Amino acid sequence: MPYQLDNRPLDFRERIYFPEVIRGIGTLAGHFLRNLFFSRDANPDILERPRGLGYSDNVTLQYPEEKAPYPPGYRGLHRLVPREDGNPRCVACYMCATACPAQCIYIEAGEVAGDPIEKYPVKFVIDELRCVVCGFCVEACPKDAIRMDTGEHAPPSLERSGQLQDEKALLRGPPVSYQSDPWLRRPSPSIPADKLAAMRASARPYHADATDEYAQTPGFSVRALAAEARERAARAVAK
Amino acid sequence: MKRFFGMSLTLALLVGFLVVLGAGFYWAAAGLGWGFNALSILFGWNPAGSISPAAVSYGVAVGNVLTLLMVVVMISGSLLTVAERKWSALLQNRIGANRITVAGHPLGGIPYLLADALKMLTKERAAPDVRSKLLFDLAPVLSFAPVFCLFAIVPVGPAIDLGAFFGAAAGAGRAVSLQVAQLDAGLLYLFAIASLSVYGTSLAGWASNNKLALLGGVRASSQMISYEVSMGLSLVGVMMAYKTLRLEEMVVAQGQGVMGSIPAIGLLLQPIGFLIFFTSGFAETKRAPFDLPEGESEIVGYFIEYSGMKFGMMFLAEFMEIAVFAGVITAVFLGGWHPLVVNTEWLRASVTPVWFAAICAGAFLVKMILLMWLQLVIRWLLPRFRYDQIQKLCWKILLPAALVNIFVTGAAILIDPSLQLLAWIGLATIVVIGVLVGASGRPAPAHGASPDHGGHGGHGAAHAAGH
Repeated sequence: MPYQLDNRPLDFRERIYFPEVIRGIGTLAGHFLRNLFFSRDANPDILERPRGLGYSDNVTLQYPEEKAPYPPGYRGLHRLVPREDGNPRCVACYMCATACPAQCIYIEAGEVAGDPIEKYPVKFVIDELRCVVCGFCVEACPKDAIRMDTGEHAPPSLERSGQLQDEKALLRGPPVSYQSDPWLRRPSPSIPADKLAAMRASARPYHADATDEYAQTPGFSVRALAAEARERAARAVAK
Repeated sequence: MKRFFGMSLTLALLVGFLVVLGAGFYWAAAGLGWGFNALSILFGWNPAGSISPAAVSYGVAVGNVLTLLMVVVMISGSLLTVAERKWSALLQNRIGANRITVAGHPLGGIPYLLADALKMLTKERAAPDVRSKLLFDLAPVLSFAPVFCLFAIVPVGPAIDLGAFFGAAAGAGRAVSLQVAQLDAGLLYLFAIASLSVYGTSLAGWASNNKLALLGGVRASSQMISYEVSMGLSLVGVMMAYKTLRLEEMVVAQGQGVMGSIPAIGLLLQPIGFLIFFTSGFAETKRAPFDLPEGESEIVGYFIEYSGMKFGMMFLAEFMEIAVFAGVITAVFLGGWHPLVVNTEWLRASVTPVWFAAICAGAFLVKMILLMWLQLVIRWLLPRFRYDQIQKLCWKILLPAALVNIFVTGAAILIDPSLQLLAWIGLATIVVIGVLVGASGRPAPAHGASPDHGGHGGHGAAHAAGH
């Protein structure tokens, strides 16, 4: 933790140097003994770890096993939001591909068999190497079909092709339905008749707010993170 | 709390293990002494039933070479490479090397030793074509060998009778001690051998035929030769006080009481000598803050052209120097193998001689480990000195201080040969140093304060200073 020392000339004791060295040994020995005898707190919020006598000073986060939470509003890997029947909400309108400044989205549209108007993406590929993580695709989507709320960053791969995420890899996370969805308002041949009623029943009003809690990826709640950050700030002020 | 009890248990077991190790060393030395005697009788060089002093002492010396040099110096040198990672991690609030595990436990990073050895042995051996071939190969040996030789005069344990091991008939009257060589020259041998290791570094710099390596070698030789002067002078006071050059006699003398029952350990009689010797010895080991000869990352050292095991030998020699240096300081200044700083006659009376000697050897090893730890702490405490600071520290501070120390010690011994006056002077020095250390300087930054708070305080102070 950074701290300020007053910028005054050295006094006699500091100029003869050896006493300060001995004091320094004492400081380091204190750290050594605390870290040797007391175990590390694994709290990912390092500033919240208890300090002082009886606690380790350790500030390490064992990364692959323990992860620090990303800040609220973090734009993670894309996902294609599914409907309850498992198909993507995407209607292959190309709005995201058009909005993308990095031109990393490739879409091939297909028509739903037996339906005169409904389309779906036959191919939906995002090149994560080209993606600049700007979030414009999420903003552009009229159907809330693409989101960046996974809370994950792009995983490493040994080949460039490993960074190409296709519609199978992208389609994940909790399903979402809105009452305004056209495939619910008029019967669509892409949805079996017996499922339609259940989907209509579980549909929600269209969200007015980008952070609708119920549609978030489990374990990554923007609202919860924001609440945590507010609490932490309040605690810091209280101290 | 679980870790606290586990760690306390581990440390207690370590001390117990060191005592058992000491007993093992004694039995090895005594067994070889007895065995060599038996062999000499078998070959007919000595009459049956006799005890040949030469054969016994030769066997004991061979046993000590095997145990002290090969086990104590070698193993502590290699374990220090692990400690360099693990202890420095603990000092810096990190975890340290823990990715190699045995049955899911990192074992304090010790398995890294094996990985290091494998790496060093299997690395490519590259050498410049323009090197001086003989000297290039000789240099690592010359920096490695003197370190071993230095430890030969360090008494790890007291001398006990061979009869204590195998019964009085088997060899009463012959001494078995954990010391390879009892030399009359003692400390002079130490200075002589210590000054040999400068050849290893300067030859490495020269033979590499590389300008940067040569500069590193020149820096190394200037530093080491300078600090040899103050190192030698710092021990003169100890030689005068104990009236001997032999380390084993010094250790025995440190068990005698002065100022009541407080033993006359070197730290009490010669606190200034201790500080000077510690600093100079630190400079001799070429480790931070005196790592000017190496300066791996910035100024390039004398072993830049070395690779593979040749580099490994220089690297290991440095760590063994730490161990040997810790051993010498223990023997000269910290009471050697005396287990405690109070009178231990009751301990000597309550256990068998062999076990008492083993406890003494264990105490010596514990002190050695503490000193090695102290050296690693200082290595992480201070940044590297500049070249002029190194020379200034040696010639303008340590050398005059050593000379003054010699004269003061000499005068005190002349006035009071019973060392009482010297002990009082030493005690006064320690008190003065303690007061200087304890005197409040800059207030330490508040521990656990929130970053916001610290920022405000700093801003306010800066503001006030501006006015």
